[in-house]
Order: sequence, then C-alpha cells, then structure tokens
Amino acid sequence: MKIGTGTLFFLLLSIGPIWAQTQEPLENLDNFREQAGNWKIVGNVTVDPTVDVHDLMEAPKEMVPEKKKRRKKRKKEKTIEVKPQALTTTPGTGILINQYSEDKKDRIETVWQHGDIKLQLEVMLPKGSNSGIYLQGRYELQLKDSWGIANPKGSDMGGIHNNWETDPDKIFRGIPPSGNASKAPGLWQTMDIHFQAPKFNAEGEKIANAKFVSVVLNGVKIHSNIEVPHPTGGPISKQESAVGPLVFQGNHGPVAFRDIRYQLLEDGKVTISNLTYTTYKGDLMGLEDLDDGAVVHEGSAKQFDVDVTGEEDGYGLVYKGTLNVPQEGDYTFTVGYTGGVLLTIDGMELIKHNTAQAQRQQSETIHLTAGEHPLSLTNIKSAAWRAPRLGLSVQSASTNPVILNSYSSYPPTVNSVSPIFVESGKGPRLLRGFVAFEGDGERLSHTIGVGTSQGINYIYDLAAGNPLGFWRGDFVNATPMWHGRGDGSFRPMGAVQWTFLNQPLAMLDHPDAPFPKTGQSPDFVPKGYSMDPDTGLPIFKQLYKGVEIENRIIPNTDNTHIMHNIRFSDQQLADWYYKLAAGQIRKMPHGIYSVDDRYYVKVLKGPVPMIRKVEGEDELILPVDGSELTYEIIW
Amino acid sequence: MKKIQISTRNGIISLCLVFLVGVIQNAHGQDVPRESDYYRITTVPVPEGIKIEGGGVISLPNGNLGVSTRRGDVWIVENPTMGNDGYAHFKKFASGLHEPLGLAYKDGKFYTAQRGELTELVDTDGDGMADEYNTIYAWPLSTHYHEYSFGPVLAPDNTFFVTANVAFGNQEWWRGESRVPWRAWTMKITEDGKMEPWATGMRSPAGYGLIDGELFYTENQGDWVGSGGIWHLPKGAFTGHPAGLKWSGEENSPITLTEEQFYSKIDKRQIKKNGRYVKPENIKDEKDPLFVYEAKAYFPELQLPAVILPHGILGISNSEIMVDDTQGKFGPFDGQTFVGDMGQSKIMRVVMEKIKGQYQGVAFDFRSGFQSGVMRFDFDKKGNLFVGETNRGWGSAGTTNSGLQYLTWTGKIPFEMKTVRAMPDGFEIEFTKPVDRASAELLDSYSGKSYIYKYHAAYGSPQTNLEQTSVKGVKVSADGRKVRIVLNNLRQYYVYEMSLPGLKSKGDGTGILHPTFYYTLNAIPEGAKLPSSELSTKRAKVKKKPVAKKKVVRAKDNTVPVLTDKQVQTLLTDNTCVACHQKDKRVVGPSFKAISKRKYSNEKIVELIYNPQPKNWPEYATPMAPMPQVPRDEALQIAAWINSLR
Repeated sequence: MKIGTGTLFFLLLSIGPIWAQTQEPLENLDNFREQAGNWKIVGNVTVDPTVDVHDLMEAPKEMVPEKKKRRKKRKKEKTIEVKPQALTTTPGTGILINQYSEDKKDRIETVWQHGDIKLQLEVMLPKGSNSGIYLQGRYELQLKDSWGIANPKGSDMGGIHNNWETDPDKIFRGIPPSGNASKAPGLWQTMDIHFQAPKFNAEGEKIANAKFVSVVLNGVKIHSNIEVPHPTGGPISKQESAVGPLVFQGNHGPVAFRDIRYQLLEDGKVTISNLTYTTYKGDLMGLEDLDDGAVVHEGSAKQFDVDVTGEEDGYGLVYKGTLNVPQEGDYTFTVGYTGGVLLTIDGMELIKHNTAQAQRQQSETIHLTAGEHPLSLTNIKSAAWRAPRLGLSVQSASTNPVILNSYSSYPPTVNSVSPIFVESGKGPRLLRGFVAFEGDGERLSHTIGVGTSQGINYIYDLAAGNPLGFWRGDFVNATPMWHGRGDGSFRPMGAVQWTFLNQPLAMLDHPDAPFPKTGQSPDFVPKGYSMDPDTGLPIFKQLYKGVEIENRIIPNTDNTHIMHNIRFSDQQLADWYYKLAAGQIRKMPHGIYSVDDRYYVKVLKGPVPMIRKVEGEDELILPVDGSELTYEIIW
Repeated sequence: MKKIQISTRNGIISLCLVFLVGVIQNAHGQDVPRESDYYRITTVPVPEGIKIEGGGVISLPNGNLGVSTRRGDVWIVENPTMGNDGYAHFKKFASGLHEPLGLAYKDGKFYTAQRGELTELVDTDGDGMADEYNTIYAWPLSTHYHEYSFGPVLAPDNTFFVTANVAFGNQEWWRGESRVPWRAWTMKITEDGKMEPWATGMRSPAGYGLIDGELFYTENQGDWVGSGGIWHLPKGAFTGHPAGLKWSGEENSPITLTEEQFYSKIDKRQIKKNGRYVKPENIKDEKDPLFVYEAKAYFPELQLPAVILPHGILGISNSEIMVDDTQGKFGPFDGQTFVGDMGQSKIMRVVMEKIKGQYQGVAFDFRSGFQSGVMRFDFDKKGNLFVGETNRGWGSAGTTNSGLQYLTWTGKIPFEMKTVRAMPDGFEIEFTKPVDRASAELLDSYSGKSYIYKYHAAYGSPQTNLEQTSVKGVKVSADGRKVRIVLNNLRQYYVYEMSLPGLKSKGDGTGILHPTFYYTLNAIPEGAKLPSSELSTKRAKVKKKPVAKKKVVRAKDNTVPVLTDKQVQTLLTDNTCVACHQKDKRVVGPSFKAISKRKYSNEKIVELIYNPQPKNWPEYATPMAPMPQVPRDEALQIAAWINSLR
C-alpha cells in the first residue's frame, strides 16, 4: 500500500522520537544481508483478510520439530500457487515484505549488529501467517495472526517463543504476552521493544541474561523486565553473544514491515573522579545562604550521597569533582533532589533551582568534548516534610544512563497505590466515567464502558449516541476514579481501536454537508439505556428530532468482531445519514472498508455506504430512511 | 469545658479541677453519661469485596434499605437490622453509575444523581435488578474532578432537586468556578425531563433535605464560605459563592445578579505576581472585613446561612440533612433536624425557628464515634437511623474508609438542651429534663462568646469580632424545664456559642450531655424583655484555695512550661484543634506527634496556627484554616506540648 502523506504525518506525530533514532529507509536492501529473494522492498501491500494462509500450513510450528515441519511446508508450498493470493503488492519503497515460496523462504538479517536496543516498527500479517523478530538473531518475539485468541501463549503474537532443547539446563518454555493485544490480519500493528543484550565478563562468562525490558504491542505493554536465559527456537546461533544482527523470520508465512526505527544503546563510560564534599548546617533558604553557612565537615567520596550530611533537614551540601568524558558528544544530565540544587560543568550553570523546598527531577543536555570537565553539585534543603534526596545520572543518545549516586541517596520511586481493576467477569459489566478520547485527547463527560464476558469491550458516548472505541481483553482500570478523591475517569485496559468523536446520526441539508457537533436538546436527547433480556447487554436510546432510536452493540462469538444494530421508530426519514467511519477509507474485497489501515467496517444490513470527503477527511456514510441498520467493526 | 475570660484564667483552671474531681467522684457512684448510653451505633457487616462508600441511603417501604455508593452501585440491603439469621443481605440492584451521590425512591423506582444526569432506575421484570437506566435530564460537565452532583431530593410536588459542585481553576486551583451551566446551581427537574434553574451560590452542596416542605442544603467551608452551615433555598436564592452567577443571564435564570455587578462591589482578590496568580489568604487584623449581612445590603437576593455550623467545631464537611419524623421512636427530638459530617464522623442536631421571616436557629453536637465519614442517612420505620459512610479522599475522625451503620435510641432520655430560642434580650433554653434549680440560677453556669465569619475570596474564615458574652441574669421556669438567659449585649447576625458545664439535672445531678449550644442570630425577635427584678444574678463564692505546688516541667527552650496531656486537652478542645488532630493518630490532619517531628520552634508552630501552610503537608486532603482567634499564650502552650512529644 502506498503510504499517503497524511498517514506518514500521523505516524511521526504519534511516535515522537524521544532519543535520536535511526530509521531504516527501506528504499533498498543495502542494510540487509543477501537472502534468497523472498524479501523485497515494495510500495504498497493489499491483504485480502478472508484468505487464510493457515490452511496451507498443516500444523502450528510450535507443536512440531523443525525438520519435520520443513518437510511439511515443502508440500504445502506447492499448493500456494493455486490458492488465491493473500497479499498483493505494487512497486515502490517503504515496505519490507516476505513473499516466500518453496525455493525462497530465507530469514533476513541486518548487516548491522546490536546489543542493547530500543526498536520500533509496524508489522502486518495476512490471515493465518506467522513470523518472528529475532533480537540478536537469537531471542524471538513471535509474530503471528493470533486474532481473537482469548488466552495467548508464548507462540502467539507478542509471545517470547520457546525453544526445543531437551537438556534441562537449556530449556526455555516461552513467555506469553500479558494479554492478546493483536489485531485482525491485514491491519498494521505497532511494536515497541526495549531489549538488553546478555552481558559477559572479561573471561567471556555470561553475567547477565538477555532481557526484554519492555514490549508494547499496539499501545499495550505485554512484557516488563522478562529475562530470557537461553536462545529461543531457531536462532542463527545457539551461542549467546554481546552483539548480533536483527533478524526477521521468513519460513513460516508472508509478513510485511514498515517504519523500522531503532536506537542502539551501550553502557555509558562517563565516570567521576576526585570527588570531594563540604556539608553545611543551618536555616538555608536559598543557595546564596551557603556563603555564610556553617561548615560541618569535609571529605572525599566515590559517588554522590546526600546522607553524608547526617541531617534530615536544614543542611547544605557541595560536591566538587572531575567528570571524565571518553567521547565527544551531547550528554544529558538528570538531577533528582529535594530542596534546591545547582549543577555546574566547566564552571557553567547547567541546572539550577534556587529554593529549599522543591521535590523535582530536572534534565539538561550539554555538548562535551572528550576529556576532563570540572563538575560541582550543590544541594540545600529546608523542608522538613521532604526526605533527603539527591541523585545524578548522565547519558548520551546512544548509552544507557550512568548513575553516579548511591542507591539510598536517590532510590527509585515506586508506586504505592493498589490499582483498582474492574473485570467484566460473567458480564456484562458497565461503568460510567470520564474517558479521554484516544487515551490523551478530549475528555468526554457522558461516557460508559461496557465489558462483555467474551472479553470484548467498548466505550459508548451517551451524549452523542456514538460508539467511541473497542478493545479486547481486560475491562478497565478505575484507579484514577476510585483512588483518593479521584478524577472521575477510568482507563481501558487494552489496545483501544478508537473511532471518531461526536454524533454519527444527523439530518443533513445536502449530502455534502458536514455532520454537526453533538446535538443539543430538544433536537437530540439522550434517553439512557435498558438491559436487553436476550443478550444481557445495554440497548442505548436516544430521541433525535422526535424519532426514537435504539442501538445494540453485540460482540460476535469468535471474539473478533463487534456488531452495531440501529433501529428507528420512524421509517419515513428523508435526508438522514449515519456516519460509520472517518479517516482514510479504502474499499476492500467482500464489501469491507479499511479505515486508516487500523480497522475494518462492513455493512451487514442497510444500503451500500458512500465514501465522501469532508474537510480533508474521508467519511463512510449511509443514507438512513428509518430501516434497520447493522454494521460490523473488525479490528 | 469552655474558656471564660483570659483575666480569670486561674479561676478556670480551678474550675476545671473541680469538674474533674466531680467526674471522679461520679465514677464511684454512677457512670458519667456517655452518648452511647442513649444512642447506640451498630455496624452492618458488609461482605468481603463489597465497598459501601455511602453516597445515598434510603429506607424502603418494605423495610429494606437502598444504598448508592461512590463505586457506582446501588445495593438493596435486606434485613438491615440483622434479625433472624443474623445477616444483612446485599443484593446489587444497579451498577456502573458515575459516582451517584444520592438516592430517592418513588412508586417502585429509584432516582439518583450521577455526575452528569438524573437517572431513573427501574426493575421491570421483578428480578431485583434494574433493567432500565433512564436518563431523566442530563447536564453538561467540564470533566473536572470536583464536579460532583448531589441528589435528588424528592419534593412534595413530585419534582426533583439536584445540587451541583463547582470546578476549580487550573492555575487558580483555589477558586471555585462554574465552567458549564449549571454548575454551582440547584436544579429543579420534573419527571419528564424539564429542568428549571432554581438557585445558585453553591460551592460544595453535599447535603440537602426538606424541612417543613422547604428545601435546605449544607455547605462546607471554602472560598466565599467562612464556615459550613445550613441554608434555606427558596427559588431565586443566591447563597454566596459567586461562581454560578456566570449563568444568571440565561433566559430561564431566576437570578439577575451578574458577576460584573457582584465584583463591582466585592473584591475578587484576583492578583497576579510575576505572571502567576496569587492565592488570596485571610487578612490578619483586617480593618473592615466584609460580612454576608453587609453584602446583602448590596444584593438583597443574597441568602444568610440559616444556621451556621462553626467550622472545626460542628463539623468540617457537612453532609445530609434529615428531619426526625419517627414520632418519638428516635427519642425526645421529634421534628428536629439532624445534620451529618464527614470529616468529624458525627451527627449534629439543629432546631430552627423563623424570626421576622428569616430562618435561624441552634445547633448542638449529638452523636460522634462513627467508623467513617457520615455522608447520608435515613430513618427506617422502627426509628433506626441508617448511615452510609465514606471518607475516601478527605479523611475523617473515623478511620474506616467506608461502611454502613445505624443509630438506635436506647430508650433513655439524655439530659440535653432540647432547644434554644432567640428572645428579645437573650435566649430561652428548654431542657429534656428539669434542671437542678441551684445550679441553673448561678450565673457561673453560663459562659460563652459570640463571633461572625468573614465573606471573602479566601478559603474559610477565622471567627471574627470575637466577644465574650456577659450574662446579666437568668430565670428558671417554675417546672424547671426552661431557663431564660439575659445577655448584656446581643449582636444580630452573630453566632452565640454558649456553654453550661456547671448546670445539673434535677435529682441525679448529671451534667448536660452536650453542654454547648451554637445559635445563629440572624434576627432578634421583638417582644417584652424580662425585667431585672425577675432575674437571678447569683454567683458562686470562689474560695481562693492555695494551689498545691507542682513540679513544673519546662519546655526545651526553657521558656514555656509544658502541660500534661490532660491539661492540654482543655486547650485543644477549646480551640477546636481536636476536630482535626489527635496525639498519635492521623485523622483529618497530621497527628501532633508527626508535627513534633518537624522540629519547628514553638514560635514557628504559633505562626503556623495563625497562618497554616497546607503545602507543608501534601498528603493531607483538607487544608487547615487559619486560627488567629487562638490566644497567643494558649497557642504557645500547645506548641510547647507538641514539641514535648518528639
């Protein structure tokens, strides 16, 4: 598929690089090692979401030893040519695709090697397909069409795959994702990985396991601090190593990648030496008060430690030392403290907060030449209610932070609040609360979450009569609403597929007129909901221009679709329209419409929808005459 | 025990000693009366996993109880007094509501105010669970956390009243504001969804109720609210907080006063320094502070509080209003009004009268010791008062976070002031039992003070224009059930706080269970004053006993003697410190021990009593009000005691 400029802009905005990232240009295969030719650079991918490549694969790979599996695949690949194409491409750049065949099913390896890495990419799988991202070519994060699976395994999308070792010392049983955050085949899915390579001492003995610090799939964190003690199944080598290439698996089905960005991290080499300190006591309200503060004692140290003052409050502390910078570059200094601080480098003020009562963490970046730089760090505190805290760390764009303070001087802050999760259980579970659209957008006031026993959840805007978003998995986190006074809001616990804001039903003066903002009484009156005795789910009711409207939103049994049925009390309506979707809309086979390549819409009952352009955005709309409407949302 | 005049301090201390001795003697003969002798609290055990954060409580015609919770549920509690098998049964009638802070019941349907709408809950198929959640009327919200909505009150004409909190400013986080209609208003809503804006001036109208068919509501201390209290809410009333005036221009507004008109007379105190707004604070020793009654001269729609519930004494976050309609099942206070308080976990008693067309009246302490913040209550048919409780986010004297309790009259009549009425020359106190004439005729049995609260943009107000009352004489009625007290100076609009610790009941000689009354004197009635000839002006003969020499503990800075816990208790109670602080335990505010750990000097503590710095205590939700009325020598003694706890 061609990435329109609008899409690109959206992606850039939504990812927002925090650190200097490298982007794979995907204009050619220069950054990859040679392979059989199944991997290509293309400009556009279209997936027929109904064509199941799974039919062609006789057994899921995790059940079968590798050799046997290869044999089976060889058989099936003969048939693939006669089956309808799951995925078609057009020439261009920006997308890396694996179109494997019997002869051509190689993995692809980057020419560059990595150790610690932060990696972001988007991935698309056709129905039934299977691939993997191998960090260092050794630790596989599984890619698979796991759409609708309620309890994913390590061999499902986002799982850390098991290996097939039989030696008890080498077995790795795999780690499932904490929930199934995957989407329907043919939709682009985002993956955000922070990986730490295994560490070795001078003798080459491993001293730390490889670790997935975090993995975020479609906006949902599915792994946190997971160690992988052995290579997973199908590594480029069973020998663990400090560095290795990034590898995508190629022998289990078609897959496409785009927008691959990464940042290589190594351990910082900045050190501090000649560190001395002077402590003060007194009612120090500002940094200038140190000039006539009473010196308590002086000493030398290896690292920064606020405890050298021996005081809980009413102290001052001045550290002086030499910063040893191995390599010229931009360095970010982060000071965490209570009270007030001054950090100088080469005699220049880098971070300053002239107070005695704050509690803060501040960062500044400075360009430093290789070599020695005098550094001073001053801290005062006259704020009895705050514990003594002082921490300093340094990092560059390509290093992990180097912590220069003792643990107790600035211990990591931990969350002490017990979270309040609301489960749908036997369901359905309804809960009203404020909801921020798209997680951090406009806060809506009259919204309700509905969680079903099937594990499909959605949010409905009662003020507009609009289904706002859908997700699978756990229901909501109500801690923001129910801890302390709360702020009246809850957060969905899964990857929400958001739709659009405001009222989807309107009488328009002409077919090109824009939909109005949410209607006001007496034109539009929300009437609440009743519980449907058949489904146990709510029927949302509104009154619009005197017509009673009922909305039923029902998940399908496969946990993959949601169906929205709309009924009207009047069947003689003219100039009424219903908006199904807004965004970038593409017509697909079988009456399916793709919205921003993020979800699909299909009308089951009602007229053929129209795509129109309003204010630079596509809208998928239906003329409404009062007959019953039903459409599906698939994601 | 209440403070008399500073000049007679020695006298007080000896009086205290006498009283304490009396208590001890009493303990030998007969128990000192306690609240629990007359009104017993029973906790309804709640099944594990259920949170009854009481937002609404209503007694149902079949004896069941309906409770709505801050967690969004409506529970039906069967067998709430736990007869038969000993359990109350909790059945979830409705769930998923948006912090419903009230519950009404009519014709088999429940009504509740969610944050954003009035909702009707109907069980159409009789399975005990609501299957219709009908929106009766929805109002806009800006989604600020403080935009709570309370109610509904079912009015005699079958309409519903709902009250609506203000939001607060983003930068001016202390300033209540109405970002959307009809925040800071009371709405009157018909069953078919027609809304009539009824009154404004609300800031945090958590309590409401009908008294004689008229709507009243309670308010907490805050900006523009010097002290909590009860306000009468006739249509078109403006009760003081200006935020809601933003919408007085709407066509259906019953109020015409605009924000511009309001701020043209009254200082908004919106000041910017270095580009940032500065929080308005109480002005110490203010020359000419503004009071509500003075502002009413500019804006006649401004409503005086009917009964002030002095902040920190009679509550800090007032809640439910409920008239005792049990016809004696709940004891001797039939027809009187009960008011809850969340922070102090207690219930007060209020009696109102109408003088010169103006509601006013008296308030007393009634029952403390609830396990959590008292939010809502209702009487069942047997005269039990069911209390729905929560303290989440605010803290309370009761340390449980939520729950359900009920209060039952034991059948014994407490010796109490049944009511207090304003008289042209003072007050008439009526007792529940005849008084001991000798103690009642002593002028020393009556002491007190009067004060008023400021009307300003700062948070709360200290008691201002404080004046000790001077009793001219008393007259005890022939049956011993009433006492007229005549004061030398009666100040209209002031709160009269008077204590009668020495007064005894006839016969058993017990003291008054709650010996202090708080009367809000909005109007002084006309009529005959008592002639001096009818007044008793007796005083006790104070023998100057030589005080036994005690070992005086000096404070660490060797200037202020450190009082014992017992000695300091009088000062702490008298200055209302105990409303929010205890020695060892965190309640609304930090414990005195926690304060001592800050190592403030005595002088610094005194300064902080006069001008608190809530930012020093970021984990505490309720900011301390300035207490400039605490006499300096007492503040120093308290400070020295606090520092001795370290």
